[in-house]
Amino acid sequence: MTEILRISVPMTFWLAAFSAVYGLQGFICSRHWFEAEVEGLTVARMALVGAWLLVIAVQVAMLAMLRAERWASPEPTMRFVSVTLAVVALVAAVWSLVPVATTSICY
Amino acid sequence: MNALRRHRALSRIWASDPGFRGWFTTVNHNDVGRMFIVTSVFFFLVGGILAMLIRAQLATPRSAFVGPEIYNQIFTMHGTIMMFLFAIPLIEGVAIYLLPKLLGTRDLAYPRLTAFGYWCYVFGGSMLLFSLLVGIAPDSGWFLYPPLSSTLGQPGINSDFWLLGITFVEISAIAAAVEITVTVLRYRAPGMSLTRMPVLAWYLLVTVVMILTGFPPLILGSILLELERAFGMPFFQVEHGGDSLLWQHLFWLFGHPEVYIIFLPAAGVISTILPVMARTTLLGYGWVVAAAIALGVLSFGLWVHHMYVTGIPHMGVAFFSAASTLVAVPTAVQVFAWIGTLWKGQPQLRLPMLWILGFFVTFVIGGLTGVMVAIVPFDAQVHDTYFIVAHLHYVLVGGFVFPMMAALYYWLPHVTGRKRFFKLGEAAFWLIFLGFHVTFLALHWVGLLGMRRRIYTFDSGQGWELVNLISSIGGFVATIGFGLVLVDIIVNAVVATRGVRNPWGAGTLEWAMPTPPPAYTFASLPSVSERDPLLKEPRLGVGLAKGEGFLGDPSRGRRETLCVETASGRPAYLVTFPDNSALPFALSAVTGGIFLGMLLKAYWLIPLSILGIVALGVRWVWTTGADRDRGPMDVGRGVSLIPAEEAEDPPGWWGSVFLLLADATLFGSLLFGYAFLWTVAPNWPPPSYLAPDPVAAVLAAVGGLVAVAAFRLAARALEQGGSAIGWLILAALGAGAVGAAAISVMVARPDFTAHAYDATLWVIAGYVLLHAALAVLMALFLAARGWLGFLGPRRRGPVRVGQIWADYLLVVAAIGLGAAWLPGAFA
Amino acid sequence: MDTLSTVHPAGPAAAVVAVMWWVLLVGSTLIFLFVMILLAAAFRQRSAPIGPAHDSGRERLWIMGLGLAFPLTVLAALLAYGLVVGERLAPKPHPDLVTVGAEASQWTWRFTYADAPGRETWNVLHIPAGRPVDVEITTTDVIHAFWVPRLAGKLDAIPGHVNVLRIEADEPGEYHGVSSEFSGPGYRNRRFLVVAHPAADWTAFLNGEGMDE
Repeated sequence: MTEILRISVPMTFWLAAFSAVYGLQGFICSRHWFEAEVEGLTVARMALVGAWLLVIAVQVAMLAMLRAERWASPEPTMRFVSVTLAVVALVAAVWSLVPVATTSICY
Repeated sequence: MNALRRHRALSRIWASDPGFRGWFTTVNHNDVGRMFIVTSVFFFLVGGILAMLIRAQLATPRSAFVGPEIYNQIFTMHGTIMMFLFAIPLIEGVAIYLLPKLLGTRDLAYPRLTAFGYWCYVFGGSMLLFSLLVGIAPDSGWFLYPPLSSTLGQPGINSDFWLLGITFVEISAIAAAVEITVTVLRYRAPGMSLTRMPVLAWYLLVTVVMILTGFPPLILGSILLELERAFGMPFFQVEHGGDSLLWQHLFWLFGHPEVYIIFLPAAGVISTILPVMARTTLLGYGWVVAAAIALGVLSFGLWVHHMYVTGIPHMGVAFFSAASTLVAVPTAVQVFAWIGTLWKGQPQLRLPMLWILGFFVTFVIGGLTGVMVAIVPFDAQVHDTYFIVAHLHYVLVGGFVFPMMAALYYWLPHVTGRKRFFKLGEAAFWLIFLGFHVTFLALHWVGLLGMRRRIYTFDSGQGWELVNLISSIGGFVATIGFGLVLVDIIVNAVVATRGVRNPWGAGTLEWAMPTPPPAYTFASLPSVSERDPLLKEPRLGVGLAKGEGFLGDPSRGRRETLCVETASGRPAYLVTFPDNSALPFALSAVTGGIFLGMLLKAYWLIPLSILGIVALGVRWVWTTGADRDRGPMDVGRGVSLIPAEEAEDPPGWWGSVFLLLADATLFGSLLFGYAFLWTVAPNWPPPSYLAPDPVAAVLAAVGGLVAVAAFRLAARALEQGGSAIGWLILAALGAGAVGAAAISVMVARPDFTAHAYDATLWVIAGYVLLHAALAVLMALFLAARGWLGFLGPRRRGPVRVGQIWADYLLVVAAIGLGAAWLPGAFA
Repeated sequence: MDTLSTVHPAGPAAAVVAVMWWVLLVGSTLIFLFVMILLAAAFRQRSAPIGPAHDSGRERLWIMGLGLAFPLTVLAALLAYGLVVGERLAPKPHPDLVTVGAEASQWTWRFTYADAPGRETWNVLHIPAGRPVDVEITTTDVIHAFWVPRLAGKLDAIPGHVNVLRIEADEPGEYHGVSSEFSGPGYRNRRFLVVAHPAADWTAFLNGEGMDE
């Protein structure tokens, strides 16, 4: 079961985080008080970018854990698969949430 | 004992009942797998005939062949049958037939569940088939968008056939998924660690976990829409606080993973067959496994790309556009790993390879158009046009049907034990391959010229006529090809000569047995030390037949196999399978009573069916286990193992864990729906909130905690040699208290038609109530078992099974009832 | 002929998507041919070196190179292209903006005009040519969609929601529109017309002159 968790947790976390940021964006667009501005940036933009950075940080931490002797799989192929999937999850977190920084929020 | 006498003894133990009766009582994966495959092919033919009707209608402009009322049923049923009654059941059938053999074991984890799933599929499919034959089939498109599919757009019975029939069929998907998951994780040959598994087992594992998490949103959506249609609970009616977009989210939360649920097993088939056809091994096993898993998870983050034009804000669709482009990467990894494998080996153009080449050509085009429609502005132009029709057929036919044809010709010698003699297959390949591309390639273009999907006819003068005529001709050519395949299979299965045992020189274990396979598959279980055991030891099958592996001694006279530890593949315990039984057939027939009662609005049938299900369910579980501690038993090769009922984690525990995964996904989808309506539906918040009920809250909290604790105390009492009965009865009382609290929510808001909020409260409370009732039943059942001596110091496993259901009850009661009461507390 | 064609654009939104289509087609064709050449070349006669050492080199080439680096590069460029175009098509504030309403039902479209309150037209939408128009789309019954292929992509009409689509016609003229979300037996005939007027005619229309419906 531990091996199954090693290969499934980073990607599953990406999915949960991705859906959560999408939910946050939907919530922001249904309420208007996020439009307040602080130094040229809206609160909405800061919340979304902050969430994005947080997700990336967690993915990096999980990748580091899966490479550390203490948590890494003892079996070479499983180790390769689990680390590869943690990298995929990190790339997915950066890639799929890029719009928080580049795209207008509620049009 | 020589090989022949062992074969006779094992055949006697594993034989299905003779004759007609055997069809209804068999639980053997050889039989049920083949029944699944044949039935799904039957539905493929039905879906194919519907496709021909569509192409006949669209061959010329202003065709008077059928009118819109019939045409709408035809295309709805074509999609529905191909997705739900052909593709998924075919995957299940192939997995059921092959998996135990690939893994070096004798059957799937729960043989009766296999049969139960099959009959649910047959009954649910029959409902849809009936509606088609009498002309009252679903007619709002295969994704059944309300309000068109609800009482507003379809006041008749048509949509009910879809919602009920498909949900009935989904039971079989969930059943197969639970048992395939447990089989891959635990039922393998000794020594087969996770990384020594055949790559197809990895693919199937990913696929079935996706079924467990992808199908529940659809099941929930179907339940909600049926409740709206039958009882007026307004989940999708905007004027009463519902939102039709909720259906689209639930449907595509299922619908997008569904596409990959169909593609991944096909990719697994290619990863299995292609290296054999190239006389080499797969390039980058670890990469391919990682790519399959990545694809599986990424595909859950794409659902909104079916909803680009529903008015979701720009950033929202941009997330899904980004994720949709990213999903092409693990697909590319697999495609190039396969081409690299061909470069590594010496590919030979035998018939399965021909189909794989057909796959490459077709699927690469489908994948490229898939990347196109991932881009939002482009999709806004081609969405709901024939461009999408062409794209999805390239992906599904290229990515599923063609690989399945490769699988058919690759494993046909295994199923029939014969070698192909008449070479009709090559001609059939060219007819289907060319026919397919003639049908669909140019349809991309008419889509760009503005031809919408689902119009029953079209006017001339838009430049669509020639393409549609050519497309129809291509469709009929492909159909002739499929007919030829059928003839080819039947002729070769009947008249061809007997073949050799491993005709392709493959390395996987399914070829280490006589063909056609005996009911027991392996006369003794192999000990595995590498990924392709037959490459190093081509005569492995002979040794196994001589009884050189595990469990070669049939003297206990039971159907036996081994469970191994998940990661390492070390033998863990001995499993005894149940014998032939009519229970699966009876249970699915009785389950059908619920669906029939809903369909005919004969609601008295429902409580009757539930009673029947409980009675048969108790009977079902009663036959498992043992009335005394047996201790370790000899399994051959000098190894002794405990029997399953004495294990801390018996098969029932593993099955429960993965069934609860599906269950929790359903509950999560329900909470998502609640939150979605709250944020997005226009007529929210509701006029008034449910007032929190302190008495009920205390009842639920105390009851849930008591149930959870009492199960643990029951297990401990057993361990210390005492009786668990008192604790189990206490657990039943605790769970009952949770149920009472759930009922109080319904009593407090009696009018579930007033607002989607009230309807949602009823569904949440009903969900908690159902799980409370399950926990009560389990506790009482276990108490009765304890009283009759079926529990003991070593035999605590059943109590641990009950315990996780009680734990789950506590979690859903806390979250569900909390979500029901909290808004009122803060208002 | 071609009245519903997305590749014969007559407005800026449809034009950028038409260009996008040709870019996508050329790029996809090149990738398809590249993959097919690699596939065909695997069948030429040769003796391949065998062994794990060679496998790691193959993994670098086939999987890390062609499987990962190649698609990631192409897709990053494509995603950026898509996001930039999507951003440009969004219905953002514009000084010259005209707003109209489109209300679908089985089986008509009712159009209203923010600049002429009370003015309604059925199945014919009047807009000024050369100015951006925001269409506020909704429905009274089932889901429909507003689609004028030569002007812009489509957008759904969802019960209880108002979706805003930006369209613009470069030149005065008539443009065909269809409802493109399946809506039941009358779906095939869910057609409407968009009439783009020169500036003077548009003013006349708003004043209620000479436009008998």
